[in-house]
Amino acid sequence: MADHADHHDDHDENEISHVASVKTLVGTGGTLLFLTILTVLATKIDFGANINLAIAMVIAVTKATLVILFFMHLRYDRLFHTVVFVSAICAASLFVGFTLMDSSQYQHTNIWTPSEPPAAPIGPRPTG
Amino acid sequence: MSDAGHDDHGHGDQSPFIQHHYDDAQHQFDSGKFGIWIFLAQEVLFFSALFVAYVLYRVHHGEIYSYAHKWLDVKYGAINTAVLIFSSLTAAWAVRAAQKNQKTLLIACLATTIACACGFLCIKYIEYSHKIHEHILFGRYFDPCVSPGGEELLTRKNMCPGSKGSVIWDAGSDKPTEGCFEASKLDLDTKLAGVQADCEVQIVKVDEKGKEQPGGTPVTNQCPDELLTILNGSEAGTGKELVKEAAPKFPCWRPAYQPQVCPDLTTPEQRNHGAGMKSQVGILVEFGDHEEREGIKIKAKCKDASAPKPMDALALSHEKPTEHVGERAIKPVHHISTHEEHEIESLGPPPEHTSMFLTIYFAMTGLHGVHVLVGIFVFIWLLIRAVKGQFTPDYFGPIDFAALYWHIVDLIWIFLFPLLYLIH
Amino acid sequence: MATTEAFPESLKSLPQAPVTEPDFLHVSKGWKSWAFTLDHKRIGMMYLFGILFSLLLGGSFALLLRTELWSPGRTIVGPDTYNQFFTLHGAVMVFLVIIPGIPAALGNIIMPIQLGAPDVAFPRLNLASFYLWVSGAILLVLTIPFGGLDTGWTLYTPYSLETHTAVMVATMGVFLLGFSSIFTGLNFLVTIHKFRPQGMGWFQLPLNIWAIYGTAIMQVLATPVLGITVLLLTVERFAHIGIFDPTMGGDPVLFQHFFWFYSHPAVYIMIIPGMGVISELISTYARKPIFGYRFVAYSSLSLALLSFLVWGHHMFVSGQSRLANMVFSALTFTVGIPSAIKVFNWVATLYKGDIRLKTGMLYGLSFLLLFTIGGLTGLFLGILSVDVHLHDTYFVVAHFHYVMMGSTLVAFLGALHHWWPKFTGRMYNESLGRTCAIGVFIGFNTTFLPQFVMGARGMPRRYWDYDPQYQIFHQISTIGAFILGISLFIVVCYLMASFWTGAKAARNPWGGSSLEWQAPTPPTLYNFEKPPIVHELYNYDDLVEVAPDRWERLSDAPEYQGAVPVASGSKEHH
Repeated sequence: MADHADHHDDHDENEISHVASVKTLVGTGGTLLFLTILTVLATKIDFGANINLAIAMVIAVTKATLVILFFMHLRYDRLFHTVVFVSAICAASLFVGFTLMDSSQYQHTNIWTPSEPPAAPIGPRPTG
Repeated sequence: MSDAGHDDHGHGDQSPFIQHHYDDAQHQFDSGKFGIWIFLAQEVLFFSALFVAYVLYRVHHGEIYSYAHKWLDVKYGAINTAVLIFSSLTAAWAVRAAQKNQKTLLIACLATTIACACGFLCIKYIEYSHKIHEHILFGRYFDPCVSPGGEELLTRKNMCPGSKGSVIWDAGSDKPTEGCFEASKLDLDTKLAGVQADCEVQIVKVDEKGKEQPGGTPVTNQCPDELLTILNGSEAGTGKELVKEAAPKFPCWRPAYQPQVCPDLTTPEQRNHGAGMKSQVGILVEFGDHEEREGIKIKAKCKDASAPKPMDALALSHEKPTEHVGERAIKPVHHISTHEEHEIESLGPPPEHTSMFLTIYFAMTGLHGVHVLVGIFVFIWLLIRAVKGQFTPDYFGPIDFAALYWHIVDLIWIFLFPLLYLIH
Repeated sequence: MATTEAFPESLKSLPQAPVTEPDFLHVSKGWKSWAFTLDHKRIGMMYLFGILFSLLLGGSFALLLRTELWSPGRTIVGPDTYNQFFTLHGAVMVFLVIIPGIPAALGNIIMPIQLGAPDVAFPRLNLASFYLWVSGAILLVLTIPFGGLDTGWTLYTPYSLETHTAVMVATMGVFLLGFSSIFTGLNFLVTIHKFRPQGMGWFQLPLNIWAIYGTAIMQVLATPVLGITVLLLTVERFAHIGIFDPTMGGDPVLFQHFFWFYSHPAVYIMIIPGMGVISELISTYARKPIFGYRFVAYSSLSLALLSFLVWGHHMFVSGQSRLANMVFSALTFTVGIPSAIKVFNWVATLYKGDIRLKTGMLYGLSFLLLFTIGGLTGLFLGILSVDVHLHDTYFVVAHFHYVMMGSTLVAFLGALHHWWPKFTGRMYNESLGRTCAIGVFIGFNTTFLPQFVMGARGMPRRYWDYDPQYQIFHQISTIGAFILGISLFIVVCYLMASFWTGAKAARNPWGGSSLEWQAPTPPTLYNFEKPPIVHELYNYDDLVEVAPDRWERLSDAPEYQGAVPVASGSKEHH
């Protein structure tokens, strides 16, 4: 039979793919539940809006990493699958980043009243 | 590589589900695994636009998020998170069971995953139905009956359970008006400060086209001052606590005050801190229950209305804000943290365009819920196949791939929960 | 008459090696064997017929709108109907013809064979993709009786929220078409990774497959955003959620960000498969390996990645901030580089090649010129200060027709003519083929060159009425459109006619070197009756034309040793 360039199995020859151990599964599940409780408790203390958000996101990213590495077996899987997933995250981040860059530059709507025309960003005030 | 001479009828030990164009089970599994990872990548991108909208509105209109997230019940969100994490565990365990040929365990894990998913949807149903009931909805349908702090709000469509809003009453005249007028203090403990009301209130029937029928039932009782304390103290609008107290006679009416943001004349600073806000006053008829009433309208004619006195900002600053339920903090003497400010603000009416938070909430959780539903159907299909014994250690791809899909669904919720429910 | 000196009579009459299995067209009969087929070739052919039909439909709308533009003011219809013509022309062409065109039709038919594989990785998903395309196409066409569509194919808010035309029908159709595209891309990615034969490493892949690979990356990563965008538009129209509506706090320009995040990679989804085809055509008909193979391969990948960085260049005058405008303009310059690298490499391939001007080559050469014009004018538009003047003028219309039609459609036609003998088993009329290729070229340039001029002079796009100074340009353009339309119609006619009247095709009529030319003509159900032999890529040394339009590779067919090839430039026998 033809051998495929990308096809290799670095695990036990009889296994089609890595088998997760009970310890790993339960350990990951338990840690995730613990982190969930943690993130809810963290809202009881106010560190300021930005820090609160940062804490919540750090915990969320940690949970996500655990799910991806252990429940989704990415830790034991071929590297290319990680590349696929990470590129999706990168594309989504690009989307958020560029759009935010644009909208951050928007200025408040100025209501035009003839007696007080809004200041132009550069140049002299428009008249009339 | 070709198929001439390719034996695609399995040997005794090869699963009959290995397809003809694959060399062997490993080849089919590897291809399927790669395929599902690509599918998950596109799922990430599918949700990405909603995350873009979330981030944009949060960065540029954070006050909407601070206000509206309190309508969400963290308890339900946390339970849902735990349920989904547990179902992820059972899904991953199902894969292990299939790999180890443990048929009973496999069936148990698949069934548990399905049960958890159904539990998730049940809680979602509870959350959604509460919001639908209170008209805390998206876009055009945003017309909340209660603020996150529990205060009854005057709504556009008069469709809140247990009460019916009415005419907007311009203090200083006995004519109803649609406009905004000046009033700078909000005090809902007992009655509106400085606003006395002597009104004739009627409940009038309307037909489907909105045409008023002749004759109406007068509402003679004015709600006692204690009513609002009771309402504010309990879960807004359930009515159960009211029955336990010395019951006022229902239906009764009271002036209801909704400081309304009049967008054309206030700056963001004024909006957020209440100075110079325009307001609307109306008559609210309380029915003492939680029923929806269609086909009626409240009409009121008020006399001797005295204008609410504009409050002296200095006088206000001496008073501790927490003593005045629902008051906007107007440059108080002692520093209030943002947290307390937000707590207080949540008792007032929604800032402009709060509906956008609900839009994003429903869009994200709705899309996520659709994915959960699809997942349920997929797992039921797998359960049937597992019962038929179709999965073997060399053919368990569908379980693995469906479990990966399920983990992505869990992953997305892991982000939705703090982003929507745990905002500060 | 062909002059073949010292060609042994015995060899001349040597028939092609007989094929014992039935070919894929005849292996099973009846409509169900087509409707429920899992054979990528049958699926591809069904796509092909749908796409050709859509081409004629979209083309009819084009001729209608060009007729209306013959004179200022009303010529045949009023402005509202005219809006529907250009919207439907755009939507049908973009979503039903150009985006699926080469990947779904020709990619499906040819790519697995070119790879040496028996099928794509997921045949059932492939069939599902096809039915998603059909459903989406039906919905898109159903907009016509249900009120039409007049928003422009770009569906911009707020008009698309307010118009009383059948926007929701169209958006639901586009949603299904998007998933058809995603699943096709997914299928091809896995096929290319997992079904390559022994000896075909990544840098032994034909460039056509590199192009399909780059396209598939974009299909998978960008199209979901289109899906969610049209879903949000549908929900917004139906339930007034407010996400794009400023009265409820939404932002109509957000729609444009969402839309173009997909639609810019989409235009590369349209062009890159065409570039892959051109690599095959130029190489085969110049009998030379592609110059700078690795550069061309890498440029397919880098275009796929860079395409995600430039979507804001469609939004320069939408109210986008100055910062974003400058960033996107600067990034747009970079995206021209890989395309230019390809053009240089193709031209270098032609240099000192043994060029045969078959129909496929005529389309290939057309592509080189028309893509250069289209690509360069795209760069002009990427310059921020220039775009402020040229945005929404006919300059833009001419630019994108040069790349979408002058390049992609021309490549599609070239690919069709190149591989037609392989999957149908028939030769078409070569004289007609070449005549129509020239007709397409002349008609196309007559239609769109004047549009550059009038666009630069200020003629806005999507306008029903115009200043009389532009009339002469519009009239030339309309005449060109009819020449183009007639040529395309004749192409479809003689291709269809070849099923009945065409000569039987040899296994390798053009002397191609890639694996699909080793398959029987037409291929058997699983593509090869004996395992294909992977030769050095683009090696034409031992391919000889043993009879007119019949080539054999001597190392595979030793019985042809000693044969002197048919002299190049011999007349065809048809």
